[in-house]
Amino acid sequence: MKVVIKSWTSVASWRWIANDDNCGICRMPFDGCCTDCKMPGDDCPLVWGQCSHCFHIHCIMKWLNSQQVHQLCPMCRQEWKFKE
Amino acid sequence: MSEALETLSVAWNVISKAFRPALDSRNNDGYLPSYEDLKASVELLHQHGIAHIVEEWFFETLQQDLREIIVPRFWSHFDFQTAGADGDPDTSFGSKYFRVLLNAVKELHSSFQLYIPCVSQLQCLHEDLQAEEDTLPSEAQTFLQCSYLSLASRVHLVLKALLLAKIPQQFSNNLINFYSRAFKAFQIKQPLEKYEEEDLDDQLECPACENDNENCCCVEVLNTFQEVNQHLKELNLLEAVAGDAVTTVAYRHIQDYVQKTCKGNYENSYMPQLERWLDGALLMWMQSVYSESNAEYVVLICNIKEQMNHFLYETYTTVRMEELFSIIIEFPESQAALEDLKVCLEKTNLRQNLITSLKNSLERRLLHPGVNTADILTAYISAIKALRILDPTGVILQLVCEPVRKYLRLREDTVRCIVSSLTDDGCGELASELMKGAPLLLDDNYQADEEDVNWESWQPDPSDADPTKTTQSHRSHDIISMLVSIYGSKDLFVKEYCVLLADRLLSTFCYDTVKEIRYLELLKLRFGESQLHQCEVMLKDVADSKRINTHVNSEKMIADFRVGEFPLNAMILSAQFWPTLREEHLQLPEIVEKALESYKKAFEALKGNRTLCWKGHLGLVNLDLQLKDRTLNFSVSPIHATIIWHFQEKARWSLEALSAVTRVPTSALRRKIAYWQTLGILREEATDVFVLEEEEPQRQSLDGSVLPDEEEENGSVMASSQDQREEELQVFWSFIVGMLTNLGSLPIERIHSMLRMFAMQGSGTTGCSIHELRQFLDRKVREQKLVYSGGYYRLPRA
Repeated sequence: MKVVIKSWTSVASWRWIANDDNCGICRMPFDGCCTDCKMPGDDCPLVWGQCSHCFHIHCIMKWLNSQQVHQLCPMCRQEWKFKE
Repeated sequence: MSEALETLSVAWNVISKAFRPALDSRNNDGYLPSYEDLKASVELLHQHGIAHIVEEWFFETLQQDLREIIVPRFWSHFDFQTAGADGDPDTSFGSKYFRVLLNAVKELHSSFQLYIPCVSQLQCLHEDLQAEEDTLPSEAQTFLQCSYLSLASRVHLVLKALLLAKIPQQFSNNLINFYSRAFKAFQIKQPLEKYEEEDLDDQLECPACENDNENCCCVEVLNTFQEVNQHLKELNLLEAVAGDAVTTVAYRHIQDYVQKTCKGNYENSYMPQLERWLDGALLMWMQSVYSESNAEYVVLICNIKEQMNHFLYETYTTVRMEELFSIIIEFPESQAALEDLKVCLEKTNLRQNLITSLKNSLERRLLHPGVNTADILTAYISAIKALRILDPTGVILQLVCEPVRKYLRLREDTVRCIVSSLTDDGCGELASELMKGAPLLLDDNYQADEEDVNWESWQPDPSDADPTKTTQSHRSHDIISMLVSIYGSKDLFVKEYCVLLADRLLSTFCYDTVKEIRYLELLKLRFGESQLHQCEVMLKDVADSKRINTHVNSEKMIADFRVGEFPLNAMILSAQFWPTLREEHLQLPEIVEKALESYKKAFEALKGNRTLCWKGHLGLVNLDLQLKDRTLNFSVSPIHATIIWHFQEKARWSLEALSAVTRVPTSALRRKIAYWQTLGILREEATDVFVLEEEEPQRQSLDGSVLPDEEEENGSVMASSQDQREEELQVFWSFIVGMLTNLGSLPIERIHSMLRMFAMQGSGTTGCSIHELRQFLDRKVREQKLVYSGGYYRLPRA
């Protein structure tokens, strides 16, 4: 007997490769979306700082815009720089 | 002086002769004084101031005659009954009775007739007296003023009183019998219209008197009937003697007719027919009973008509009330019956009875464990629609269906039934209702709408409406709202819909979501956008997966990642937004694992910083089995595919070995193998040893031994709610372990109270009942993580 697989449909769930489960700012799961967004994933991506902390992009942008003088990572208080 | 006395006595003689008609032979010398003599005599009395006693004396003698002669004679006609009325009155008895009745009435009439001239003479004298009232002594004046009734009516009153005082028991029954027979005869001989459908001409027997057509006595009966009525009327006794019997007969016939016409048939409107019959047949008959033509009579007939109509409505309502459950079930075919009933209900006072009776029959026929939830729902929906016609304000519905709603709340699968029929592919009741797309009206989000446009046509609620509940405008008629409001909140439904949607998406693996999106939009109209956000993400996941699949399976990617021994598609979920999926272990064939790995790499390359977690046990596999003598195509689940895949390497597997390779527990594996067994592709050669059937087996050999139950375990890919609940209880496990380590052994009550004290206070954790805790702990005992003895739980010794 020979089994020929003509097509295989499987199920997977995606997740961000991050060192934490929840966004430090909005406390929502990374795999969910920030409070302003409706759709997770592409519509509400994560960004990493050079300090290796990561946030929902909308959350960190909101934070950075509210800081007048220095733009610091809200977790470690180092200067925030986007990881290339 | 003596002369005066003599003239007086002569005058008195004349008067007593004139006013005492000769019954029998009593002082019957044929002499009747003329009116002039009479008048002269009365004149004489008048001169002596005693004329007024003539009237008094007349009534005295009349009463005496009636009491002693006329009335006993009348009733004596019916004496034969005491002897012969034991059995039920057969035809011969009936016709005999007719004659007797007729004779009695005739005699009564003729003997009473004798008094009529006296009365009219007396009336004249009375009027003469009145003209000279002033000259009378005061005693006579008061006497004259007292008699405000005319003499004739007073005479009739006396007759009625004395006659009815002696009425025998049997008489009314016999009278009813008589009138009922007369009614039947009347209907047959009635030339105007035929209300009966059967053709009477063809019958040999007259249906009324049950004689041959030639011997039909109907005409005779009718003549008797007319004559009796006529005499009674002249005696002014018709209403008093026969009124009851006539009404009773009429009621009986209305009841019979309504039963015969409408019972069990709900599809036609019978009200016009019934009313026509009432007007045509029954009232005609009653008119013939009371036939006369003065103003009094018109009023009487009007009253009777009203009374009969009312009784007709009442009868109809009663008949329909008993059948209301069936009428509801048969809706909309039974619409006509409901509209009739509505008309009748407005005119009668049976609303409360109707509510009680319907409530009872619903409870008796619907609300017991033998009825499927789906059937209860169907009946409920029917009731909503049907009672909407009966009572547009919805109060009856509210009152009647309260027990149904209460009962549905107790059923576990109610929500599931409602949701699945909402999105039923067929033209289900609810699905079409959903299409209307009106927003849900629930108690909690209702805002009073004061600016009612039609305030002029406002009607108060019926008196039986529950004042604590909402007003008329709020008592919505939207079926979906009514169903959802069984639970009072939308959440349960939304949650259930999510599970249902996930289930459907993950069992068909159809990437075409147009239909689902349409349903979702419709549901959003009803349940609101925010509630269904989760489902929106789910559908977007499906669309995204489709795009990613095309991308990954494109030529460039195949070249880069070597995903390509067979087409591999994925359904990529945003786990946060999907219901919890069932977790199972399954080691897929190596080739598939590799393909999944490649797909994952391709995905990671495509979406930076994101990765995939495969749920290998879920999915759908399309495969060809190339056997020696045939090629078969199947669409199966991954576990089935894996099992059959392994039979490629060797044709004989023991359950143990297969379980080791696939990492599926033997019990579950056996169930899955059963699928291939039923298809005749695998065979259990010995206990727990399965072998591949390369050639199509003979059909006979297949029966009997193999063919295990085909029953697939719970087909849902979702974790069952019970599993989820246990997951939640898992939070308490570490507390329990800590407790038992420190305190040794504890009874369940202690564990529960300590958990309540320390663990259940946080806002996030849900409480758990002692019953749930017992189940949870018992499972731990089965898993040998706990020991239970003598009512105490403790940890097993390490």
